Amino acid sequence: MNTPIIRYILGHVLRIEGLLLLLPCLIAVYFREEQGIYFLLTAAICILLGAVMTRNKPQNSIFYLKEGCVATALSWIFLSIFGCLPFWFSGEIPSFTNALFETISGFTTTGASILEDVEELSHCALFWRSFTHWIGGMGVLVFLLAIIPMSGGSNINLMRAESPGPSVGKLVPKIGSTARILYGIYFGLTLLQIVLLFLNGMPLFDSVTTSIGTAGTGGFGIRADSMAGYSVTLQWIVTIFMILFGVNFNFYYFFLFRQFRKAFGMEEVRGYLLIILASVAIITWNIRGMTAGIFDALTQAAFQVASIITTTGFATTNFDLWPQASRTILVMLMFVGACAGSTGGGIKVSRFLISIKSVICELRSYIHPKVISTVKIDGKPVDQDVVRATNLYFVTFLLLFSASVFALSLENQDLVTNFTAVAATINNIGPGLSQVGPAANFNFFHIFSKYILMFDMLAGRLEFFPLLILLHPTMWRDLAANTNKKRQLSKFNK
Amino acid sequence: MFKKKASAQKGLKIIIVGGGKVGSTLIQQLSREGHIITIIDKNAASIQELTNLYDIMGIIGNGASYSVQMEAGIQDTDLLIAVTASDELNLLCCTIAKRVGNCAAIARVRNPDYSQEVSYLRDRLGLAMIINPELEAAREAARILYLPTALEVNPFAHGQVEMIKFKIPEGNILDGMTIATLGQHITNAVLICVVERNGDVHIPSGSFQLAKGDVISFVCQRSIARSFLETIGIKTNRVKNTMIIGGGKSAFYLAQQLIQMGISVKIIEINRARCEELSILLPNAIIINGDGTDEELLKEEGIEYAESVVALTGIDEENVLLTLHARHVSQAKVITKINRISFKDVISQLNLGSVIYPRFITSEAIIAYVRAKKNSTNSNIETLYHMFDSRVEAIEFRIDRESAVTDVPLKELSIKNSVLISFINRNGKIIIPGGNDCIKVGDTAMIVTTHEGLVDIRNILR
Repeated sequence: MNTPIIRYILGHVLRIEGLLLLLPCLIAVYFREEQGIYFLLTAAICILLGAVMTRNKPQNSIFYLKEGCVATALSWIFLSIFGCLPFWFSGEIPSFTNALFETISGFTTTGASILEDVEELSHCALFWRSFTHWIGGMGVLVFLLAIIPMSGGSNINLMRAESPGPSVGKLVPKIGSTARILYGIYFGLTLLQIVLLFLNGMPLFDSVTTSIGTAGTGGFGIRADSMAGYSVTLQWIVTIFMILFGVNFNFYYFFLFRQFRKAFGMEEVRGYLLIILASVAIITWNIRGMTAGIFDALTQAAFQVASIITTTGFATTNFDLWPQASRTILVMLMFVGACAGSTGGGIKVSRFLISIKSVICELRSYIHPKVISTVKIDGKPVDQDVVRATNLYFVTFLLLFSASVFALSLENQDLVTNFTAVAATINNIGPGLSQVGPAANFNFFHIFSKYILMFDMLAGRLEFFPLLILLHPTMWRDLAANTNKKRQLSKFNK
Repeated sequence: MFKKKASAQKGLKIIIVGGGKVGSTLIQQLSREGHIITIIDKNAASIQELTNLYDIMGIIGNGASYSVQMEAGIQDTDLLIAVTASDELNLLCCTIAKRVGNCAAIARVRNPDYSQEVSYLRDRLGLAMIINPELEAAREAARILYLPTALEVNPFAHGQVEMIKFKIPEGNILDGMTIATLGQHITNAVLICVVERNGDVHIPSGSFQLAKGDVISFVCQRSIARSFLETIGIKTNRVKNTMIIGGGKSAFYLAQQLIQMGISVKIIEINRARCEELSILLPNAIIINGDGTDEELLKEEGIEYAESVVALTGIDEENVLLTLHARHVSQAKVITKINRISFKDVISQLNLGSVIYPRFITSEAIIAYVRAKKNSTNSNIETLYHMFDSRVEAIEFRIDRESAVTDVPLKELSIKNSVLISFINRNGKIIIPGGNDCIKVGDTAMIVTTHEGLVDIRNILR
């Protein structure tokens, strides 16, 4: 395995993180908060370490899928470990485990918190917490591809390992341009939301943190009651933008280039909107008795559905108190998730489309045993490998999910808590039901369970395989073999 | 990998139809040069492989279809290159691209039926270039047979200058001679540009000492080449007869040219129907119907007395074996055609004599065109060739304005190591430069170098 190139990429990732950490420093300067110094310290560490790691350009710049996966997985682990340092240094989150949990929850755009009271945090810490969502939403390696010109085409493997969805493609021939277009759309939409929120009466700091939290489909709020305190107009704006960020970004690309027919013909986007409409309708009807009227019911239902299906995790109300039908729908939406190629998590609508269509194909083969039928999305045949990978994804999801639920059950909490805690983390949503509901937090879990949930968050964000490959014995052997070789070489040189 | 762009120039938008061997060679080279490439192929697996390997967009479909071309973004494309297996499809791709996208188009056309009409087709269809690899390969083979001592003969400046590659035999007067002595005592109309010794390539300076076994490339005017080789004691008689094994398209083109040059040709081909075709097309050639890999047949047809043997079958392994056999049993000059590009370094160690790679010839010609197109606006590279397995570049620069390089005698310029000015073309007059010559505005100068990515004549300075 080509370890020098992985080290080089990690170095670049750290440097970028160091630069990004300077933003909360500016916030601290503005609000005159002394916690800013810890951000500056962490930024310095990251930039220095990054500079050391990128000093030697590796000779062999070729990397294959496994290097791409390992680099991605390690990048995310590094990002989280260094990202949590300011919380820990400043003592705002005293325990390292909790700080790491909060940061991983941020980068993976989960939004599950261990904080008892959010409003105690300093402005810069609040900003960094939300900003991790924005960085993690589109992915830091995609950002790397956008800003650093890389020659060679094998870096598609980096994008493939980081971007969610069953098959990752490019919008334009060059991967760098693709990454820039994606970030351009992302940035533009975020800015639009900030402006809209601000114009409708939200304070600027709140608009910025809310918008970057929405953009990454993260869900960290800066108030204890999440979004409930804001006006109905603001809630609707957030609802709409949550839904927008859950749409496949190819949609916007087609839109920008005036290929409207292609944009609106995307089956995944249609399916996604259909699911939202149906869920909102049922929940509105279901909760109409508990609310101040049909419009209030609609507002609440739309907000919660958008928040859960896009895996954002904001809340305007404690939906744990809703009737069973509505709660069940929300739990099911947790698994559906947003579109592939968006910033959202979950299993993804396109995977469900592919699976449902392959089930239909299978059924047809019972009627006509010799029939040949292919699964098609947007009128194009889906490669057999993609169908296979989708099925494997479901199996892996199920295995990891059950294992995590079992591991959590050792703590003797009730099943709903354990089940939804895992569902909310592995799908990068945030709040679950019962004891991890929107009004509660994850702090009561044992340290062991917290690490399980952290693993679930990372695994869910990277769609399992890049992280799982780190656990494969061959990887360890490869890494060990490389270091041994180096050791022998250095002995030889002496 | 994180290579800084050599310049801020944007690459051309290029669509390549057909991801076969030529297609992938083109992609490899052009994507390295920063062009924006989309590949169209019917085969999903080969698209998958290419997009994994290179930073390009892949589209699965028929390249001649309007909707597929639209999907590939034909409307803002600069160049379409059609290199599928079918001539007709290639021409159709280009015609449609021309109509829809109004871009430049290059087609590969191999069938001899069209070879007479190439210039008519090109003009009528408005194509930038029609390339025929088999014909080019045959031309190269013919050039070598015309000067059999040479391993390779490449024409430059519309054929006025030739770059000739040959191996210094044992006991030759060049053995042990320095380049400077050669210039002083024998002739200064010849310039040795590249020396390959034990697998390493050198751009020699004046103090470089030649040795037997070196493979050298020199440039000189076409008229001088023969007399120079005779002066240093190398026979330059062209061959009188040739045995061609394999009767494909390139064999036909080669035979046609050799017969025109007055060389008698014998073609061995296994397929009877093809033999009959050839006998109609080439009345002056001897066509033998038989298996070219049959040792007895070759003996019967007199391989031992043949002056040259050209292996042009469709199978690389057979070509290699045939050449080795011919070397073993006869004194003939041998030429081998190799289609595949992989295992090139193994093949170059086999002592096969002259090796012809039709696919390289094709991709080189196209790449030279692309570079010229890219550079026509913002740089001044006229042509660019790769030699010695792409380790050496020969770049023809157009000198269109004054700079630090112009009007200064060459000996006073501080030129980088491994850079050599091989000839200057001044209004069609060729100058093989010495230390007192200088480059003037309006010239084109050919630079031979092992450096990559020179984009301007001024880059040759330290």
